[in-house]
Amino acid sequence: MEGIVRFFENSGFANATPGHLLMILIGMTVIYFAIRNEYKPLLLVPIGFGILIGNIPFVEHAGLHLGIYEDGSVMNYLYMGVLKGIFPPLIFLGIGAMTDFSTLISNPKLMLLGAAAQLGIFLTYLGAISLGFTNPEAASIGIIGGADGPTAIFLSSKLAPHLIGAIAIAAYSYMALLPVIQPPIMRLLTTKKERRIKMRPPRSVSKVEKIRFPVLALLLTGFIAPGSLPLLGMLFLGNLLKESMVTKRLADTAKNTIIDIVTIILGVTIGASTQATTFLTRESMLIFVLGATAFMISTAGGVLFAKIMNIFLSAENKINPLIGAAGVSAAPDSALVVQMEGLKADPDNHLIMHAMAPNVAGLIGSAVAAGIMMSYLL
Amino acid sequence: MTTVAQLLPIDLSAIGKEHLTLAVIGYSVVFLSLFLLFLVFTVVPKFFTHNLRVKIQKEGGAEKAALVNRMVPGEVSAAIAVAISLYLEELHDQETAILTIKKVGKSYSPWNSKIYNVINFNGFQR
Repeated sequence: MEGIVRFFENSGFANATPGHLLMILIGMTVIYFAIRNEYKPLLLVPIGFGILIGNIPFVEHAGLHLGIYEDGSVMNYLYMGVLKGIFPPLIFLGIGAMTDFSTLISNPKLMLLGAAAQLGIFLTYLGAISLGFTNPEAASIGIIGGADGPTAIFLSSKLAPHLIGAIAIAAYSYMALLPVIQPPIMRLLTTKKERRIKMRPPRSVSKVEKIRFPVLALLLTGFIAPGSLPLLGMLFLGNLLKESMVTKRLADTAKNTIIDIVTIILGVTIGASTQATTFLTRESMLIFVLGATAFMISTAGGVLFAKIMNIFLSAENKINPLIGAAGVSAAPDSALVVQMEGLKADPDNHLIMHAMAPNVAGLIGSAVAAGIMMSYLL
Repeated sequence: MTTVAQLLPIDLSAIGKEHLTLAVIGYSVVFLSLFLLFLVFTVVPKFFTHNLRVKIQKEGGAEKAALVNRMVPGEVSAAIAVAISLYLEELHDQETAILTIKKVGKSYSPWNSKIYNVINFNGFQR
């Protein structure tokens, strides 16, 4: 009889709290939207399932070594890759091997849009300070505005490891919700005439230029913000593997095998880190509010800067301000949002190629921002 | 009843000089990095194009030199792509009529081995 009672006491039924049930419900909702609406399924399916894994109730710290926060548990070992900042650079390696910087090389002025759209990071940082977060916590929350999951995870693993779960979930959720968040801001800040602007087609880019880009870009950004080296080093290495054309096997491994394995482990562990006992706090709720604000400010920053640039550009070189919204990184989702909005204004105006330039510039910009914050606050 | 101010207790006085410094310097450095990249990638192609133009001019092709880095309109690129695609598709109109069936090798694994089956049907044969 005692054995049965003990078995029941160790079961999930005996240890369930309303928090666990709420988190399980959230996990199932995430999985539902990821599959039903295809909202970032590659990330949200593992994250959603991770939320389920992390919120099955059990007796914590009873020597069972089950929980992600319990030393010696399997999930804890996997989570080390997140906590030690190992996974984000590996993801950047894969992203580099998948990214084509041609549009950026052909129209370098669009790099400035990628910088402008980082406004959300720094304003949200100030917002988080005003809400009572500490300096490192505020920096980790602000980086959500860079709309780049690996960068957000990397910075928070260094500055505020206890907030990784909430920050990562907020970043990826809002990235999935870009088609909902961005269009109203884009329409609000542009006129119909501006949204119809047709941009000059990008010029062709030679192989040498494509090879030169990762090398020069690494040297430049690395010297300015060495803190961004783990991310940008791997990003540009991945890109060089792709563009050099002599390391096809390595590029293929980086953009398929490595990124797939890391994405699964990263997603599951991030999801599992949202254990109700540690996740359902006032701080988590505030992070979600600040994250949404960061995305909105970044979008507005990109669009407004594109409008400012147009003041100085000749009539044939004008840029469609919608592409400024793609500066928030979140490649390629925000570029797709720009394409859809452009088509709504003019069904013949395809902006995706142009939008990819600020999109990848935003990736560099947010990594540089993370590097600066890290070197300033560590 | 809980008010918005209670849920979001914003205290702007908490933003100190050091926070503003980080925000301003941080944003400026991000801009500077990408601005330098913009400068480099605006100047470098021009430099290389100039070198190429000079080289071609030396070889006596003034008209050719003027064509260096001239834009190819998107419509022209699209027309060339369609032409190549059609040409390549036509090449496949006549098949060789030799069909090959590739034998798929099934590698051994204890996980699919018959001898490790839970129910070994061989034992029930009469």
